[in-house]
Amino acid sequence: MKTAQELRAGNVISVGGEPMVILKAEYSRSGRNGSVVKMKMKGLLSGSGKETVYAADDKFEQIILNKKDCTYSYYADPMYVFMDEEYNQYEVEAENVGDAVNYLTDGMEDKCEVTFYEGKAISVELPNTIVREVEYTEPAVRGDTSGKVMKPAKLVGSGFELPVAAFIEIGDKIEIDTRTNEFKRRAN
Amino acid sequence: MEKDFPRSCDIFCAVVDNYGDIGVCWRLARQLANEYGLSVRLWVDDLHGFGKMLPELDVSLSQQTCRGVEIRWWDSSEKAIQRGFPHPQSLPRWEREASVDLVIGAFACKLPDSYIAAMVASEAKPVWLNLEYLSAEEWVESHHKLPSPHPQLPLTKYFFFPGFTPRTGGLLLERDLLQRRDAFQRDEDAQSRYWRSLHVPPRTANELRVSLFSYENEAIPELLRAWERGAQPVTCLLPEGRALPQVAAFFGLAGGRAGDVWQRGSLAVHVLPFVEQPEYDRLLWACDVNFVRGEDSCVRAQWAAKPFIWQIYPQQDGVHLDKLDALRARYVEGLPADAAPAVRELWQAWNGGTDVAAAWARFSARRKQLAEHGPAWAKRLSGNDLALNLLDFSRQVA
Repeated sequence: MKTAQELRAGNVISVGGEPMVILKAEYSRSGRNGSVVKMKMKGLLSGSGKETVYAADDKFEQIILNKKDCTYSYYADPMYVFMDEEYNQYEVEAENVGDAVNYLTDGMEDKCEVTFYEGKAISVELPNTIVREVEYTEPAVRGDTSGKVMKPAKLVGSGFELPVAAFIEIGDKIEIDTRTNEFKRRAN
Repeated sequence: MEKDFPRSCDIFCAVVDNYGDIGVCWRLARQLANEYGLSVRLWVDDLHGFGKMLPELDVSLSQQTCRGVEIRWWDSSEKAIQRGFPHPQSLPRWEREASVDLVIGAFACKLPDSYIAAMVASEAKPVWLNLEYLSAEEWVESHHKLPSPHPQLPLTKYFFFPGFTPRTGGLLLERDLLQRRDAFQRDEDAQSRYWRSLHVPPRTANELRVSLFSYENEAIPELLRAWERGAQPVTCLLPEGRALPQVAAFFGLAGGRAGDVWQRGSLAVHVLPFVEQPEYDRLLWACDVNFVRGEDSCVRAQWAAKPFIWQIYPQQDGVHLDKLDALRARYVEGLPADAAPAVRELWQAWNGGTDVAAAWARFSARRKQLAEHGPAWAKRLSGNDLALNLLDFSRQVA
């Protein structure tokens, strides 16, 4: 069993007997040290999507499905195509890619984990940490190396924007936690 | 055809600490029973704490009716037999109890498994809501009313978030509260009688009356010193509770109790008994400035429409400071630009910040503007009635 706060996009869980793939999981702190997790999920049998919210300590049975290490190849609207080491290609629906779409770029070498249900690729998980280059951000703030002052930065390739430390400059490579979309540190 | 409102309701409350949980649940229970005519059972796991705000409650009884609400004891930890209270025979038989239209679990409290099983088994499944904590943060709007299908059972709970915007569940507000507040605040005789009932002398010229309801707070001595040394006489009304030892220590005393009066310099402190909710409302209405804590008294201070300072329930990692700032940001909308920073500075100083004396001086200088702002703020919030929203939503998802 896994608690709601341990789940992440790409996990498959059982809800009322139906396997559901989590497309997005958003953690928020509630009152009295409690927390809630808002999850967007899709039924693998019904195909229907739903937005839900759970207490962070709600428990779920995780369904372990076949997984393969793959690399991202290209986007063929509306499918993202991944390839395994034997050059087999697998298509994942754009909707099922979830937050991973923020970091998918042509030519990326990060190993992704593609999950299969009854032979069909149904979701993709990125490594917990990836490195991406900053395409644009406002000029660095001199003197602040604390990492506490943040500013937005746009990533090369996906164009995804996220808050980064004020000392980051255009062209810097940064480490990002893909589970939370949070900047971790400068990578170069 | 539009469905009817639910007719019966179970509210489950697990008292964590203090009086916030039960305070909100008791208020909601009375409103649903007395204003909307529901048959309400309030399940409480700590009758001793509840008894502080409901004097006629008999804590030895596991079942009784007070003010239109059936109050039932339950053991949220399911260890009643070991604790021997009230006695094992009085433990609820949940399979017989789960036959209501609406079930509300307050503040994410876990319902007994057997009660949930009985809900699943019942022919007409009740609407099941989780009444969440109050927050002014933006994320609340996108979470409000979302379903939470049970991971294992064919049963869906819904998350219901109180809040300060129309896209949230709103705030608890009794039907005639604001009219009663206005009548009291216009009636000087009623206020004089009220002060006499507390054995507090009549107001003197230029005197400031402040209620002080707080958790332990390192800023208390500095604030009391500022009042003591200030030019303006300050009468501080202090309900018995967690702040009392610190205030007593300021006067060099080991402790205090209701009825004590302590005076030094410009400051007089009157220790009040812990009072019932309607009496606490009157205290908030009668004072010029209110220091409040947690969720329930914070909302009541906003209905009182007087300048207020909120001490938020402290959480790990300082996450409560974001919540404090979220309400502060909403509250100061519409305030003159020079008054808003005074609110921010004092709220921050009162919640772990520094230099509360200076922050108080700036806040106090803006008191007139804040006093004018209070009624407009309360009116703005009053259009979003939590109990009504909750019943309306229950009708929609039934």
